[in-house]
Amino acid sequence: MTANASVAGKAPSPRRWAFKRPSERALYGAMGFIGVLVLWEIATDVGIFKKSLMSAPSLIVKAAMTDFGSGAIWPHITTSLSEWAIGFAIGAVVGIPLGLIIGWFRRFDYFASVMLSAIYATPKVALAPMIILVAGIGIEAKVILVLLLSIFAIIVSTVSGVHSVDRRHQQIAQSFGASKRLLFTSVVLPSTIPFILSGLRIGAGRALVGVVVAEFLVANQGIGWYISFNGTMLNSARVYLGILMLGLFGIVLGEMIRVVERRFDSWRPEIH
Amino acid sequence: MPEDGSEWPGLRVALAVPQRRDLVSVAAASGQSADAGYRTIRSRDRKQRSKLSRWYRGNERTVLGITGLVSFFVLWQILAMLGLISEFFFSSPLAILAAGIKEVQNPRFWTDVRISAFELTMGASIALVTAVPLGILIGWYRRVSFTFDPWLNFFNALPRIALLPLVVLWVGLGIQMKILIIFLGAFFSIIMPTAEGVRTVDRTYLDVARSYGATQRKLFTSVVVPATVPFIVTGIRLAIGRALIGVIVGEMYAQTEGLGVMIDKAEAALASDRMLFGVLIFTIAGIITTEAVGVIERYLQRWRPSIDVEEGH
Amino acid sequence: MAVEMAAKDLIMSAKGIRVEYHDRTTKEAFLALESFDLDVVEGEFVTIVGPSGCGKSTFLKVVNGLLRASAGEIKLKAAAKGRDDAMVFQESALFPWYSVLDNVAYGLVCAGMSKKDARERAKPMIRLVGLEGFGDKYPYQLSGGMQQRANLARALTVDPGLLLMDEPFAALDAQTREIMQSELLRIWDQAKKTVLFITHQIDEAVYLSDRVIVMSARPGRILADIRIDLPRPRDLHVKRTPPFVAYEEQIWELIASQMKTSASQFGGG
Ligand SMILES: Nc1ncnc2c1ncn2[C@@H]1O[C@H](COP(=O)(O)OP(=O)(O)OP(=O)(O)O)[C@@H](O)[C@H]1O
Ligand SMILES: [Mg+2]
Repeated sequence: MTANASVAGKAPSPRRWAFKRPSERALYGAMGFIGVLVLWEIATDVGIFKKSLMSAPSLIVKAAMTDFGSGAIWPHITTSLSEWAIGFAIGAVVGIPLGLIIGWFRRFDYFASVMLSAIYATPKVALAPMIILVAGIGIEAKVILVLLLSIFAIIVSTVSGVHSVDRRHQQIAQSFGASKRLLFTSVVLPSTIPFILSGLRIGAGRALVGVVVAEFLVANQGIGWYISFNGTMLNSARVYLGILMLGLFGIVLGEMIRVVERRFDSWRPEIH
Repeated sequence: MPEDGSEWPGLRVALAVPQRRDLVSVAAASGQSADAGYRTIRSRDRKQRSKLSRWYRGNERTVLGITGLVSFFVLWQILAMLGLISEFFFSSPLAILAAGIKEVQNPRFWTDVRISAFELTMGASIALVTAVPLGILIGWYRRVSFTFDPWLNFFNALPRIALLPLVVLWVGLGIQMKILIIFLGAFFSIIMPTAEGVRTVDRTYLDVARSYGATQRKLFTSVVVPATVPFIVTGIRLAIGRALIGVIVGEMYAQTEGLGVMIDKAEAALASDRMLFGVLIFTIAGIITTEAVGVIERYLQRWRPSIDVEEGH
Repeated sequence: MAVEMAAKDLIMSAKGIRVEYHDRTTKEAFLALESFDLDVVEGEFVTIVGPSGCGKSTFLKVVNGLLRASAGEIKLKAAAKGRDDAMVFQESALFPWYSVLDNVAYGLVCAGMSKKDARERAKPMIRLVGLEGFGDKYPYQLSGGMQQRANLARALTVDPGLLLMDEPFAALDAQTREIMQSELLRIWDQAKKTVLFITHQIDEAVYLSDRVIVMSARPGRILADIRIDLPRPRDLHVKRTPPFVAYEEQIWELIASQMKTSASQFGGG
């Protein structure tokens, strides 16, 4: 269903070179990163790029210093962050148990499956106008959109985790006469955790999409609004600054989930 | 044997492990005096099931799935009719159906469908034909990968829809803007897994190919690409979702034409039935494309074993 | 039909076992085992050999309650303490997310014992199979042979009357396998268990067993029930003696004849 979910079940294979050679990696990475920035700066400087459209790294830094210096950007950050956190937290708290239940009870699973895949296939952002109409232009509408975008990824990934429990492991539990409850806690839950985590990873990303879209469509605060507003003002340095912050937030988020994954994957031989 | 379990030299094991309850029928309980102290594991009773119940057991999944879907709509309809959910906000299945019937007779609707479909196909196919080769390139050459990793990771972690105002700055509000935002949504979703797939190709297969003197080209076509297909397909699945988001939000943002505009306009006109019909179109588009990918995947993956057999209950 | 339990020391008696698998997609029944009878006496070491796919694992699963037969019945001696039977699965059957100690304690936890008590009880068993000091390790940190020791310990911990072992050493290299064979005999001797064992190695079957059951190709029936009259305790040298080799040849002939029939089946297919 999703990148991580399908990869999580894959047996580790000998990698050719990935994640080896840390120093070479750092060297080339720095070259690539800085190289693009330098070229960008020069191109704007000599007029290949239009300053109002492409801005330049130095201008972005200047915009960052202004907006962080005056503190004008903080309300936007906190607004977006709280929309994201509330929606995603509800999505996780409701989605994980729901996914476990759907995966565990066969008939329930059959009953929900068609509906669930239809909802999963629906681009939830299309519901944004309706949500705004129903929930108003406050934080509620944004939280609902964030929740809708994240929860189904979490449910679907959790369900597929329960489904891909190794049949042999199940038989071992059965062979020793494990109760249903013990089968669940000793076999199903541990084998599903990687899938739950990858569901959370995907859900967290979708939630961020929800924040941005909601703020594009209706808001007067938040990073999405900051990007969109400065776009219409042709203030491209601030547009890039907003995008940069979203990207950095996404990266930090990914790293955080990776830390959790490592904590739960101590029994895995391969470092993912 | 001594009761304290000391029959194992050097060990003190005294066990009283209860048996699995459902299988225990020790003589006393079963009343079979001849077999005192034995438990009987019996065969399954061959229940004579009616034709209907046999059919149901064979098709339970489909039957329950459709039941689930139908009851969702029926419940919605009933609640709407009882006034328990507001028809004004959430409409009802019959109202959506009626709005849909009216809508498909409207030439404007078909223009919208055509425009959205065009944008989607253009953006997604450009993304596909560029992201797959580039992903293979990045996955194959270590230094290329190291060089581009920071930027790729950045764009992968970024909700690409956030680039929308920027794209508007670059190319204006026309159709290029929508194609570009769809492309950006899909591109990174495909290139990341593709590169990862190439990176994780099993070295054994590469060694086999090399030891038979495979050319670089043969190495790619015989090992790298087949091994990467599942990753590419995974990427395409993700890309469908991103591309659809691009279509909808791009159109809502630009407010020119397409199904996204239709949805937005319908909601602004407080016509929630028409609006939900528009959403339904996207649902169908999502299902069809996902299914199509599934069919292609099953074809490309037909050498992979998939075991789906049932053991006795 | 009630099974005669006159011989008081029978630990298991299977009569007329028939097992079908049902393919979910084609809805066809697949006959894996038919009219299969087998008696095992308490304290015996019985090994089943037979062509691949003849239904050996299937039979063990039926005894273990993992699978239900569609005909026949099995009488299994109810253990006064401990479980009636326990299975030692094939390779990598340990839970990768549990430590070795928790894996070995698993059967007791299944029986309702607290995790703490179960661990206490599991410790001596870890010592018995020679894994002392590895209790805190995860399965992936163990070699194949060590994993199978843990696998065996897990089954022994529940003190089963009948120990079911499905090709437990199949994935091991030849040397490790021989070491494990001797170890198993030592443990069997100490623990005084009855063992029902499956293998493809004829020498393993002869070396370990009191009786070797040779099965026909699918659906499996019993071709021969061979008593191995070699003195115990046996050490690995017995494998070089003429009686041992004679047993090996006898069994090999039986299996080879089966391979011919199935080969001609496939050839004519
Ligand atoms: N879950 C299943 N569903 C359908 N058929 C099965 C299943 N398990 C086994 N079979 C079939 O039943 C037959 C007996 O299988 P079984 O696993 O008992 O063989 P076996 O004697 O243990 O073989 P091996 O020595 O290779 O382990 C085989 O032909 C196999 O194809
Ligand atoms: Mg087998």
